Amino acid sequence: MIYYNLNGSEKNLKANDIFMITAGAEDIEINKNELAQRLGVSRGYSDDMIEKCRKRLMGLLSYKCAYINVPVSFRQENICDLEFMQVRSRNLYRNLRGCSRAFVLGVTAGMAVDRELARLRVISEAEYFITDALASAAVDSFCEYACREMSRGMDCARRFSPGYGDLELSCQTELLERINGQGLLGITLTSSYLMVPMKSITAIMGIRQ
Amino acid sequence: MKDIRDIIKKERLFFDGGTGTVLQSMGLPPGQSPELWNISHPERITELHRSYLDAGANILKTNTFGVNRDKFDNYEELIREGIRCAKKAAEGREKAFVAFDMGPTGQLLEPLGQLGFEAAVDIFAENVRIAKSEGVDLILIETMNDSYETKAAVLAAKENSDLPVFVTNVYDASGKLMTGADPAAMIAMLEGLGVDAVGMNCSIGPDAMLGLTELFARYSSLPIIVNPNAGLPEIRDGETVYNIDAADFSGYMREIALRGGNILGGCCGTDPEFIRMTIEKVSDVPYSPPEKKNFTCVSSYTHAVFVDKSPVLIGERINPTGKKKLKEALRSDDLNYILNEGIRQTDAGVHILDVNVGLPEIDEKEMMKKCVSALQSVTDLPLQIDSTDPETLEGAMRLYNGKPLINSVNGTEESMQRVLPLAAKYGGALIALTIDDAGIPETAQGRADVAEKIIKRAAEYGIDKKDIIVDPLALTVSSNPDGALVTLEAIRLISAMGVKTSLGVSNISFGLPQRDIINSTFYATALQSGLNCAIMNPFSVGMMNVYYSFRALNMMDEGCKDYIGYAADNTASPAVSAPAAEETLFNAVVKGLKESAAERAEKLLESTAPLDIINEHIIPALNEIGSAFEQKKAYLPQLLMSADAATAAFDVVKRGMSSGQAEKRGDVVLATVKGDIHDIGKNIVKVLLESYGFTVYDLGRDVEPQVICDCAVRHNCRLVGLSALMTTTVSSMEETIKLLKETDPSIRVMVGGAVLNQEYADMIGADFYGADAMDTVRYAESFYSR
Repeated sequence: MIYYNLNGSEKNLKANDIFMITAGAEDIEINKNELAQRLGVSRGYSDDMIEKCRKRLMGLLSYKCAYINVPVSFRQENICDLEFMQVRSRNLYRNLRGCSRAFVLGVTAGMAVDRELARLRVISEAEYFITDALASAAVDSFCEYACREMSRGMDCARRFSPGYGDLELSCQTELLERINGQGLLGITLTSSYLMVPMKSITAIMGIRQ
Repeated sequence: MKDIRDIIKKERLFFDGGTGTVLQSMGLPPGQSPELWNISHPERITELHRSYLDAGANILKTNTFGVNRDKFDNYEELIREGIRCAKKAAEGREKAFVAFDMGPTGQLLEPLGQLGFEAAVDIFAENVRIAKSEGVDLILIETMNDSYETKAAVLAAKENSDLPVFVTNVYDASGKLMTGADPAAMIAMLEGLGVDAVGMNCSIGPDAMLGLTELFARYSSLPIIVNPNAGLPEIRDGETVYNIDAADFSGYMREIALRGGNILGGCCGTDPEFIRMTIEKVSDVPYSPPEKKNFTCVSSYTHAVFVDKSPVLIGERINPTGKKKLKEALRSDDLNYILNEGIRQTDAGVHILDVNVGLPEIDEKEMMKKCVSALQSVTDLPLQIDSTDPETLEGAMRLYNGKPLINSVNGTEESMQRVLPLAAKYGGALIALTIDDAGIPETAQGRADVAEKIIKRAAEYGIDKKDIIVDPLALTVSSNPDGALVTLEAIRLISAMGVKTSLGVSNISFGLPQRDIINSTFYATALQSGLNCAIMNPFSVGMMNVYYSFRALNMMDEGCKDYIGYAADNTASPAVSAPAAEETLFNAVVKGLKESAAERAEKLLESTAPLDIINEHIIPALNEIGSAFEQKKAYLPQLLMSADAATAAFDVVKRGMSSGQAEKRGDVVLATVKGDIHDIGKNIVKVLLESYGFTVYDLGRDVEPQVICDCAVRHNCRLVGLSALMTTTVSSMEETIKLLKETDPSIRVMVGGAVLNQEYADMIGADFYGADAMDTVRYAESFYSR
């Protein structure tokens, strides 16, 4: 696990400081509940095929997270001001109420996963399905991990992602630009605001204290 | 001003450093694009450039990194003003060059992203034309983290100007681009495209670039550019572990210069002081640009394959000659079959894949482009583009993500005139057939002479001898008794000329029984005579035996590790297939055993009518696992594995049917609606429908309503399945249903996905709500049995 800060030393933690957290496949345990739910199996169930897919995927995962810590204010109800962007969203407003700052983050499991999925789609739908579920659970588990790491000792709201409730996916353009999502994480957006690599997450996590 | 290309051969030049950081200290608000200052604060941009020139830098990067027509409406003005700022600063200075700076478009290219290759070329081309008319000394393509986008930018620069082109890519700590390429692969591609200097920038600090510089020095024949960030201050548990300042930076840069870095400068976080100190520290390091390297290599989007001592295997299976199924696949546009052949050969251990799609009744050029694009998304092997039609070659070479192997040029005037310019423009290694206007020479010396002639002509086009791989042609021994001997002698003669060789090995046995025996023996003798590459069938046990044992016997396989691995795989297979003999097709499908199901189906075909196999074995097995799933006694992954197995058996059975006999259960159009990429549910439905014998037109995900509608109309298909997972995309599902019903009220629409339920489905006008995949299959069955 490496943490780094791109612009300056700790004495100089300005609002435009972007931090990174990275991890290898073996550092992150894939959440069992999350995986079981995605596979449609009972918790802890596995078989040869799932293990085969897991092993292959482990060699391809490259976890990266980039995040910032910004002040949060509310000009009026349902409008959240995150300093670099303003969003109108009732659900996010409710989620962030009581927070004075927030982490804004992007995470990805990397491009190699997309290539593997493209390959599996040709050879086996079963392996594609299983690997897709594994990769989704994996990036989610890493996101949980990164959130825990960045918020040590803090009281935080549950992370909230574009696409949840009424928070538009389109806000990902500004969000990713602000955390240098393309440069640091390799994340780009399609015209429908979907992320490539597919196994990527953007989120806002309010800090209460 | 002198041409920078001449100068970098003799002396060290220095790039400037970061832009954003310095401009922020001059008052640029965080989050604002630095390029906007080209118009609002041109004097400060000029001042920035001057400060770098004062520090001793020679090459100024114009403040145009992020400008293109997709990002800024006033892109042309931003570019022109940006160039003017740099030129103003450089005016009257000695040895100061203005580099027009082009960064990435911000979009990922197909197939993983959305931007088409030619669309990317167009975006860059527009910038290049503006820069050229404004007047710059060179073009710098920088901070590229995708090899494919890099190629698009280089082609745009080359096709729209004669300016020198420098390229730097972003490597991460593992020494690879975000999309996978290592330095050897990038150097192979960029040298082939004719750029003037290559290197790295951004992302990592100078310390992490030491090793990369050594790799560049090993592979590159071109001057090497190193423009690192000011390091990455690491923070561990809230403590800053280290931070690189100008003194540390310049210390590393001196080390980089000693290890082969030629043109030095900085990227994010560096300022004029970093550059000034760097110049000071490297002043006593002698300048020596890389020597010309003599590697013969081709590359993919991840790695380079070197043609050297160890034999190179080129998989021949994607070539319709004599292959009925592939011909059928090409005629019916069945890319999946072709991709499968690619993946199977990759798994079998070949190093390069030959791609030949020449059939008289299809559009070869378009099919080749499609295949090359699609293969690049499922295999990381370099491709050998194989066609007798130069236009087909060009179409594929342009789209190819790397340095391709080109099959082929020959010694006829026409071939040389048409193929050599393509290789000169796009790069690539060429297979040169020893045939000319007088035919195939009968003697080995005659063939070596043709090789010599092609090499000389290629040199006139600037193509190096190392990029010519000569194929002295294997003529079948059944009609040419001395065919093998002449070819072997030709290999020896050509190898002695210092030229690499290749052979289509299996030609030797044409017309003889048990061809594998002759082929593998001939291959062994050819390897002993110095053969480098073989175009061959990797599923031939004889050929693979020769390959692995030859390497073990010739000190190319340390500790015989590869051979031992190969031998272990080979002895294991009979033991594994033994219990499969007990397996019935029914059981194989229920258990989800794909290979076994295909084998059982093959066996059953000997005694059972194809339709009976489907109706009495495959469908009942699917029903069994399907109802186990419905009763929650089996899980979704098991259901899918059974469907995979059923599909494999179905494919075998279909081959046993005469064309009219195949039972047509009906067509279904499937798509995940616009705005949604969550297509797992749709894919499950697809694989189950196919396993039940339905023909599925799968349009993928994030699909426009009109595209779905057009497909239903084109195939006269009355049943359409739509999926959506996000609440935000149910509206686009509704829109799609509306359009379908307007177009043809008799179309029935099934919907499914996590956000839906019966009530919701009724509300948006769907005809059927599938709670799970089996549900949907049952509806399709009842729909078509009406």
